[in-house]
Amino acid sequence: MKRNTIGFILVVSLVIFSSFSFGQDLLIKNGTILTVTKGTVPKGDILIIKGIIKQIGENIKAPRGVKIIDASGKYVIPGIIDSHTHIALTGTNESAEAITAEVKMRDVLNAEDRSIYTAISGGVTMVHTMHGSGNPIGGENIVIKTKWGKTSEEMIVHDAYRTLKFALGENPKRSNSRTIGTPRYPQSRMGVNAIIRREFLKAKNYMEQWDRYLKAKKSKKSAKNLIAPRKDLRMEQLADMLRGKMIARCHSYRADETLEFIKLSKEFGFKIACFEHVSEAFKIAKELAEEKIGISVFLDNWAYKVEASEGIAYSASYCTKKGVLVSLNSDSGERIRRLFNDAAKAMKYGRLSEEEALKLVTINPAIQLGVEKIAGSLEVGKHGDIAIFNEHPLIAYTHCEKTIIEGEVYFDRTQYLKEREEMEKRKKEEEKKKEKKGGKK
Amino acid sequence: MKIKKNRLLICLFTVTLLLAATSSARVTPTYAIVNCKIISVTGSPIEKGTIIIRDGLIESLGPQGKISIPEDAEIIKAEGQFAYPGLIDAHTNSFLELPKEEPRRPGAASTAAVDPQQKEKAQHPDLMALKLLKPKKTAVADLHKIGITTVLVAPERGIYAGQSVLLNVNGENAEPMVIKSPVALHVNFTTARGTYPSSLMGTMAFLRQSFLDTGHYSSHKSLFTKSPRGLKRPEHNPFLEALSPYAVKKSPIFFNCANLEDIKRALGLIKEFKLNGFLTGANEAWRVADLLTKHAKVPLLVSLNFKPPMTSIYVNQGEELKKKAEEEIYPANAANLYKKRLTFAFTSQGLKKSSDIPKNVQKAIKAGLPKEEALKAMTIIPAKFLGVSSFLGSLEPGKIANIILTSGEIFDEKTKVKRVFVDGISFEIKEPPKGEQPAKVNIAGKWSVTVSSPMGEMESTMELEQEGNEISGSISSSMGKWEIRDGILSGNELALSITATIMGETMDMSFSGTAERDSIEGTITIMEWSAELKATRIPDREY
Repeated sequence: MKRNTIGFILVVSLVIFSSFSFGQDLLIKNGTILTVTKGTVPKGDILIIKGIIKQIGENIKAPRGVKIIDASGKYVIPGIIDSHTHIALTGTNESAEAITAEVKMRDVLNAEDRSIYTAISGGVTMVHTMHGSGNPIGGENIVIKTKWGKTSEEMIVHDAYRTLKFALGENPKRSNSRTIGTPRYPQSRMGVNAIIRREFLKAKNYMEQWDRYLKAKKSKKSAKNLIAPRKDLRMEQLADMLRGKMIARCHSYRADETLEFIKLSKEFGFKIACFEHVSEAFKIAKELAEEKIGISVFLDNWAYKVEASEGIAYSASYCTKKGVLVSLNSDSGERIRRLFNDAAKAMKYGRLSEEEALKLVTINPAIQLGVEKIAGSLEVGKHGDIAIFNEHPLIAYTHCEKTIIEGEVYFDRTQYLKEREEMEKRKKEEEKKKEKKGGKK
Repeated sequence: MKIKKNRLLICLFTVTLLLAATSSARVTPTYAIVNCKIISVTGSPIEKGTIIIRDGLIESLGPQGKISIPEDAEIIKAEGQFAYPGLIDAHTNSFLELPKEEPRRPGAASTAAVDPQQKEKAQHPDLMALKLLKPKKTAVADLHKIGITTVLVAPERGIYAGQSVLLNVNGENAEPMVIKSPVALHVNFTTARGTYPSSLMGTMAFLRQSFLDTGHYSSHKSLFTKSPRGLKRPEHNPFLEALSPYAVKKSPIFFNCANLEDIKRALGLIKEFKLNGFLTGANEAWRVADLLTKHAKVPLLVSLNFKPPMTSIYVNQGEELKKKAEEEIYPANAANLYKKRLTFAFTSQGLKKSSDIPKNVQKAIKAGLPKEEALKAMTIIPAKFLGVSSFLGSLEPGKIANIILTSGEIFDEKTKVKRVFVDGISFEIKEPPKGEQPAKVNIAGKWSVTVSSPMGEMESTMELEQEGNEISGSISSSMGKWEIRDGILSGNELALSITATIMGETMDMSFSGTAERDSIEGTITIMEWSAELKATRIPDREY
């Protein structure tokens, strides 16, 4: 029953929101503003014009016609960013082959995935939605804003890095999957490393082939029947990695495989933005910091499989203190609404400051995704992507009240609860009517 | 003189050839349909008119009195009836006998198990509907009953499903029906099940790569033809050969769009590879109407199947909304497109029963689509889309005589099709014999059959389909597969006709008996022999 009601509200809100145009004007007044990068404004206002933050300060007057949200007693923070999830997609893995760099999550966006609504109910405004970890080289990921009710095209964040998913360890070697028929190569960690190397060698070869062709084409002596090499979309993606047009996001758990992958990146000269999950990051914090490679991790999930057995809850805090760029991810359409709770845990495990903890779910993931100029903190000139909490977001009993993207309110808890109540009332009335009718007969 | 004589000879020869050609074709009588209201679709209606059909074509039509009736014409009195152009179903999967598909192995898609044969099954751009045509008498009659005279038959399975054929449903034999083959290449946004591409994202990459490869292959080939010296010989590739007319020469490609994201995926591919793309299915088209307006040149073939797709926001939120979606929201697709001034044709794609076509057109009209637009969507618009509007899609002199006579306005609930002309061949629609009762049970499904005769027992299986009280299907035994037709289930009384082929001889068998939900009993008769038949239902597999 409840499910139905929620469904109705979701559809109603979907229809309402889809009628708006891009970028709204909004003034948020009298909130405690946690800017994350520029300190705290105890009682301040934020003015958003056409989706962009125009002013942060005290006693800002609203231009005519601008909608005002009173945030007295509330906490205003930058919209939460999830650096690693798989929501809003039709399918996660192309599992028929081990190397599938040519597949793109952009092709399978599903703007009607309810997880988007779940995400905004937890203050999340941006996600990096990724290929799964089934393949040593998966597909191209995509960064979207959780604009529930908008089309998939309107959600895409074009400023973000192009990222390619890699995966090491148990998942790509299919240790935990039921395999029917012929097992797929690779079946071991050495195999995973070798197949990635093999593919990059192929890509180099492919690039050289094209270079030779282009050179020959330019030269005056070129044959009339010179033909271009076959364009290979898989190789094109890996070539883009080698050209620095795309960067790696690599799923790993153990320290050894992680270090091996760093070696591989040096051998071929591609860039790694971030390691995913990497339970043993604390063992190699120094190396990660030196290489300027970030990590995107669970705060306190460990020992749920063999390769995660040595994980600890202190890893995120420890790595932060060692100078590693750390973000916390959900990897899920449900945990995505509790990322602020995970950030709070980083204060308990490892004693990060409030600001450091908040950074794990705001500016740090923004940097990892290459969107720190538009999101991740509350600063003039950035997008008006904001979450408003009833209490300090790092208190255990807090909840998100409003989620705003580009000045537009996408989630409003009060309104949502009201609509749900009304809907249930209406339903009960209808049922009563039905009963009466039935009685007459 | 000599030259002239030669010319004369050539002339004579040509005339003889022409005569030979025409005499080998079917001779159709000349008809005069009189006293009917003519709705030509492209012209204004004629209240009381005459249509002359000769040699399978519309010779002339006009108001009564203005058209002289030829002496040799058979007169069809159509008092109070309406004449319309035959309806066109621009995308159907009926009429085909496809090779049997193996059941999916559980979990296969989520693992790495690669079956090379599976790959073949998903990707067969060279599969020709023309070669798989098996028009059944009952299927032809079912189409005539609802006024459909032209169908585009397409293979339905796989990413590259194959190539379609356009038919004029003028009888029971496949060849005389063919108007055009191949018409289009059919693409589904599906997966190869258990082999690459096993996911939608893989399918998108696969489609892109195959279009690129076709382009490369074709330019390599033409370059080699022009100047082979110093150039590696292109290796023959049947897969790319089949794609070439579509990816390079821009013959139509039908993209089957199950949901709104599929429509966007298709439009993206059409733009990226400059394809002559058509959107079919598209029962969420109204949700991307603005985008479609921007791509107005892409023909839109909207299915009359109103079942919301699995991805729809309307189906995952409880029964109430799902019901509303099926009964109100999705049937309004066409009406909404019309409001946005988008041109579209209707198709039956995805519908299981042809009798649902008029029912669902009525639903679309009820949801706000003007009747005349519904008619256009099944006549002149699909004719234009398929490039046959110069000889099909409306009632005009010189066009093929595909005409339907109806008891009232078409798409009215009570209206019945009385007669259809296809290629000028007349088919009268027979009313079911009176005295029949509606069926009391539904016996559609699979049955295990035992026939006991003095000569012994024979085991077989039977598959039945039921539409109202009409039964059809097949019976399979060690002696082969026989068609069951003209079956009637009147109350619990079941009568069937079975066409059996025994040792190369075709024989008619009949069955009469009683049917319950899970059991059938009665007598089967072949000439003077008879035997007892008992059948029990084979339960559907549970999933």
